[in-house]
Amino acid sequence: MTLQIIDNATCTFCGCVCDDIQLHHDEVRIHEAKKACVLGTAWFLNHTAEKKYPDALIDGKEATVEEAIQTAATLLHEADMPLVYGMSNTTCEAQKECVAMADQLGGLLDSHTSL
Amino acid sequence: MTCTLGEVKQRADFIVYWGGNPAECHPRHFTKYTIMQKSKFLPRGRKDRTMVLVDIRETKSAKAADIFMQVKPGKDFELITILRALIKHQHVGDDQIAETGVTREMLDDLVQRMKSCKFGCFFFGMGLSMTRGKHMNSAALLTLAAEMNAFTKFVAMPMRGHGNVTGADVIMRWQTGYPFGITFNRGYPRYNPGEFSTVDVLVRGDCDAAFIIGADPGATMPQPAIDHLKRIPTICLDPHITHTSKLARVHITTAAQGISAPGTAYRMDELPLPLKPALKSPYPTDEDVVRRINKAISEKPFWLPEGSQPQMITAQV
Repeated sequence: MTLQIIDNATCTFCGCVCDDIQLHHDEVRIHEAKKACVLGTAWFLNHTAEKKYPDALIDGKEATVEEAIQTAATLLHEADMPLVYGMSNTTCEAQKECVAMADQLGGLLDSHTSL
Repeated sequence: MTCTLGEVKQRADFIVYWGGNPAECHPRHFTKYTIMQKSKFLPRGRKDRTMVLVDIRETKSAKAADIFMQVKPGKDFELITILRALIKHQHVGDDQIAETGVTREMLDDLVQRMKSCKFGCFFFGMGLSMTRGKHMNSAALLTLAAEMNAFTKFVAMPMRGHGNVTGADVIMRWQTGYPFGITFNRGYPRYNPGEFSTVDVLVRGDCDAAFIIGADPGATMPQPAIDHLKRIPTICLDPHITHTSKLARVHITTAAQGISAPGTAYRMDELPLPLKPALKSPYPTDEDVVRRINKAISEKPFWLPEGSQPQMITAQV
């Protein structure tokens, strides 16, 4: 089977964010990441499009995404001082939504930088 | 005082890595941006550049360095302060130098090289910013870089880990005016690291719910902080089942950024780059899930008493 090639892909493993990676993939997994370093290669090759984990878990039990979203919203809304934390391994678009979440909850907002 | 990695690649003939191990943590930093590249201004590449490594132990990066300075653990601030004095020809006692574990000859040589270079750059890692002295160490190094500009061009740049952590800083600065350690509990953003930074909040047990995205504090934070995350309702978004997912009340699996989720990520020099996802994930993206949670929250009463909305203060003339 011939592999599809993506040129100049961006690696987000470390802060270098190399944007010259050539990815060879078959839509399920990435078989080769040319120009990537050892860390980047491991990052690209270890993520697949397979469904390895349940969509969502509530108290350790499998649930749908919609149920999990409603539960999350209720828990966060009930809290007096909720904390929104992390935002390292995610996109800027999701980070902006996280800021909006902390704003609307009147909560705390923090990233890895403060560690 | 900083610059892009492109400028470093083109112009920097003197590069100092302080408290970082790029050979193992940022493997392509040397080859792609700093010491190995040839450029119009540095046509001989590695031969035109000098690299100094300052660290508490001889890591793999020391092999790539022209000069390796082994500083005693926790003495970075002292060493930077001594350098700040030496560049201005101020007197520094032998016992003060001995305390840092470096010799006067090495320091005199370093100062001479720093002053005679055309474009110098400090890259500082967690070995400087996360050890004794913390942000005071970073501040001292930034001051040294600023003061070096009396003699030649000098810049400083932090070595950021973790993919898009730079993006988080940039987005929070854009949206709130502050880079991290923020609270909205008065309805407007306030900034105070130490009071509103996560480790402190969790260790003191201040917060009563936590929303964790793109991070695994369950694996990286001190035990009292993890214990508090177990006590309160924690919500976790991650492409994998992590340590945090296991202690969380709610876990939602999301697509991995750059692999199967599109978007933007910031490089460590604050240059935004588009992501090119190769795969299609069976899971929703972080952006989609957070937006849906936000919508669900907005349908509930606002958190002020009786669900009243914050009032805009109109200007009175």
